[in-house]
Amino acid sequence: MLAKKMVRDIKNHKIQFISIFLMAFLGVYVFVGFGAESFGFEETANQYYGETNLADGWIYTSNLDKDFVDKVNDLSLTKDLERQLVVNSIADFKNDPDITLHFLEDDDISKFYLIKGDEFDLSDGDGVWLDIRFAEAKNLTVGDDITFELNGVEITKEIRGLGYSPEHLYQTSDSSMIPDYDKMGFAYMSHKAFPLGEIPYNVLLVKYDGDSASYEKQLDNDLGRDYSSFLPRAQHPSFAEFQDETDQHKMMTDVIPVIFIVIAMLTLLTTMTRIINAQRTQIGVLKALGFKNRTIMFHYISYGFWMVLAGGILGFVLGPLTLPPIMFEEMADLYSIPYWLTGFDMSFVIVTVLMVVLAALVSYLACRNIVNESPSSAIRPKAPKITTFGFLEKFGIWNKFSFNVRWNYRDAKRNKFRALMGIVGVLACTLIIVASFGCMDGFDEMKDWAYGDINHYSSKLVLEDNATASQIDYVVGEVDGEKLMESAIEIKANDVKKSGVVTVLDDNNLYTPTDDEKNPIEIKDSEISLSKKMSQLLDVEVGDTVKWHIMGSDKWVSTKIDRIHSDPNSQGIIVTKEKLDDLGLDYTTTSIISSKDVTENYTGVKTIFSMDSLTDSWDTMMESSMSIIYMLAGFAALLSVIVLYNLGLLSFTEIKREFATLKVLGFKSSHLRKLLLTQNLWFTTIGFIIGVPLGREVLQYLWGTMGDSFYLNAHISLKTIIITFLIVYVVSILVNLMFSGKIKRLDMVESLKDNE
Amino acid sequence: MSTIIEFKNVNKEYKSGDHILKAMDNVNFTIDEGEFVVILGPSGAGKSTLLNLLGGLDSVTSGQIIVNGQNVESFNDNQLTEYRAKNVGFIFQFYNLIPNLTSLENVELMKDIVDVDINGLDVLDSVGLKDHASQFPAQLSGGEQQRVSIARAVAKQPTMLLCDEPTGALDSKTGVLILNLLQDMSNNKNTTVVIVTHNAILAEAADKVIRIKNGQIESIVINENPKKVTDLEW
Repeated sequence: MLAKKMVRDIKNHKIQFISIFLMAFLGVYVFVGFGAESFGFEETANQYYGETNLADGWIYTSNLDKDFVDKVNDLSLTKDLERQLVVNSIADFKNDPDITLHFLEDDDISKFYLIKGDEFDLSDGDGVWLDIRFAEAKNLTVGDDITFELNGVEITKEIRGLGYSPEHLYQTSDSSMIPDYDKMGFAYMSHKAFPLGEIPYNVLLVKYDGDSASYEKQLDNDLGRDYSSFLPRAQHPSFAEFQDETDQHKMMTDVIPVIFIVIAMLTLLTTMTRIINAQRTQIGVLKALGFKNRTIMFHYISYGFWMVLAGGILGFVLGPLTLPPIMFEEMADLYSIPYWLTGFDMSFVIVTVLMVVLAALVSYLACRNIVNESPSSAIRPKAPKITTFGFLEKFGIWNKFSFNVRWNYRDAKRNKFRALMGIVGVLACTLIIVASFGCMDGFDEMKDWAYGDINHYSSKLVLEDNATASQIDYVVGEVDGEKLMESAIEIKANDVKKSGVVTVLDDNNLYTPTDDEKNPIEIKDSEISLSKKMSQLLDVEVGDTVKWHIMGSDKWVSTKIDRIHSDPNSQGIIVTKEKLDDLGLDYTTTSIISSKDVTENYTGVKTIFSMDSLTDSWDTMMESSMSIIYMLAGFAALLSVIVLYNLGLLSFTEIKREFATLKVLGFKSSHLRKLLLTQNLWFTTIGFIIGVPLGREVLQYLWGTMGDSFYLNAHISLKTIIITFLIVYVVSILVNLMFSGKIKRLDMVESLKDNE
Repeated sequence: MSTIIEFKNVNKEYKSGDHILKAMDNVNFTIDEGEFVVILGPSGAGKSTLLNLLGGLDSVTSGQIIVNGQNVESFNDNQLTEYRAKNVGFIFQFYNLIPNLTSLENVELMKDIVDVDINGLDVLDSVGLKDHASQFPAQLSGGEQQRVSIARAVAKQPTMLLCDEPTGALDSKTGVLILNLLQDMSNNKNTTVVIVTHNAILAEAADKVIRIKNGQIESIVINENPKKVTDLEW
């Protein structure tokens, strides 16, 4: 019979129970769904790198003979190694796509991941194993021929297989800043396929024990730095980019869903407690009738339990099924990977179980309090809480306040927890929306900063590696351009080593270094300037010394930092040409920048970027994060609707009798609506005011985890504040409107009778 | 004395499924200005229904309720609200004070709905509670709360006071105090007081006694010499 009572109770309070179900569902759905996505990133990478046996490090040197290989092999930490020749080539297509060719001596490390065709065969000198994404873009398939131009020599091979490479999970080229599979790709071949006599291997792939620092130390000690550079996994561009992406997702999906689940749980628990307290007299009656305490408790615990359990399980199942695929589809544009795994973590189970257990526990506690009273006392409504004079009433101004203000102030004071929940609900919503939209602001800000304040040319002409001085000077004259050198460097300080870029200025007006406030700064001929993010990564400041070398050269220089500049997406050093000369390093012009819209093809110029194409690339790159942002903001708004509605429902149930009395006394419905609205707006305003700066803090935290190459101070734009304000207040007012009908329909006779 | 309230052929039916319950069956009576009226009847007779209809909390199925020459049954929602605000002072069995407001604030709350100059302290003084002005309902005894509720009701100077078992939750001594206060309102201030109760003893103190049973008027008796409440044998 009690089961029947439960079913009817749930039916009578269906909205309340539906909202319990929804909160449990939404909390677990978002937490587990986003978690499955970010853990999926990690698991995908781990499994893929494991299956293909990705190298732990890459040693680059020009004289990679057997002797050198033996020396490395003799190192105690070396586990396995093999040589490759990695060279750039151009495939024979109209748009001259850049194809990175790998000629393999062996096929045990960083293996080609075959999707279609034959397994990689070292004895096959006529075949090529091609990047499947490039093949798709060019409509190529197994059995087709493809021609590459390699240092002026054309080689044609038959495609034996299509697949992926763990070293090209993320790929860009000189002609495309973001992955564009129509313009670039990679190909694997046997060493037998090399057309020009003895093969000049230039990369040694190594697997080793221990961490990269100790391995590099051993390399340095035992080989005496007889190589040009060593690249550990963490600095490999493809690996690092994916790692950054993973970290970024982890960050976004760690912090925000946790806020989510906490809010969902808090509201859920409040609701459970209130529902049971509302059943107080019934509990008294059941006791008086002779029901055992245990039976009564069991009855009330099962109340919310089933709803929370159902919501939790549904969220647990649907989250990983629906959310990660949406993300993965976005990611597939940027990353070339054969499969995506949906991740799993014990925290998913723990959180879901915790939610169900806590719901049962608060039901138990709330129920126990009532059950432990004597039936005669439980059967009576609980004596109202005594209101006392608070801070505000001590002042004369109190008497000037309207009834509306007084009533709401005291109601909030008497129901502190409910008030707090309302505020926290709005706060969380504000915080999530501010942080999410703040991300978008930040992306725009970075774009404007990088491609407005710092780089303010119209065209950037990237030069061929072998462009001659006269070719360069000719182009400079033709396009009225400025020379710029941007080269990859390695930079060390305080036992930290990072990759970066050295930018060398040669009287540039179209490239302007900036400070933290985005104001232009001048780098003098004698000065070395380090970017702010790099200084943070290396833990150095002005006056400290850093060691660095240009990639491809063995010459390390030690320089004192004279200045700190700030750059949103390029970290490293800025010097003038004169300073570079002083340091004894070679100056090589890598690009020409011009204020003209250059479209003509000049000899010696590899690619021309227009400012528009650069900003377009930027937008594309940021798009992948947008879907997360929109989803999070959407869920935040949904959550706050549920939280506010639910709290509204709770307070409405509690003040129904008061409202009925006020109505009997002659208050108009509109007057009562205003009472509720006032309270909602108070909570909303407090939550909003605290939420905005907190959202900024969360955002700052997010930026910090965006990866080594990005730098930005969190700013919240007025637009974001206004959007957030609108969303939060619209939600609040909307929820209030949902109650206006209830107030109008409030049956005075029934409501007054109900509680007697 | 002029007639201030008139029930003309009032019917009130409640439908539940196919079943129709007649809560008010062709009820006719009048009440004069300043009268102290007691409505008696067993539980379920329709006493509260009568009071709710008169107070504008519920609407009739058919018939007319005329108060101060106005047809209450023809009022729409807004007019009913205004009617309640200006004409009716309700006194409930369980007081229904606003727990968040002090005694004084509960009384002065009426300023928000009627255009009457209310001196809350004076009104509280008239029910003997001036000293409890800044206490909250939960800090008052039942009798004190009921006195605040009377103060709240009379503060807006309504045409009538409608009292639903006003002493139902009080001990007899306190009950007499409350009823005495209500009788004084009627005798000295010419306020019409309608009290619904099942306590037949109160009949001797009333100017008019209306007995109802099964939703119908059983009898209407006019006392030429009503007793003082304090003189009744409780």
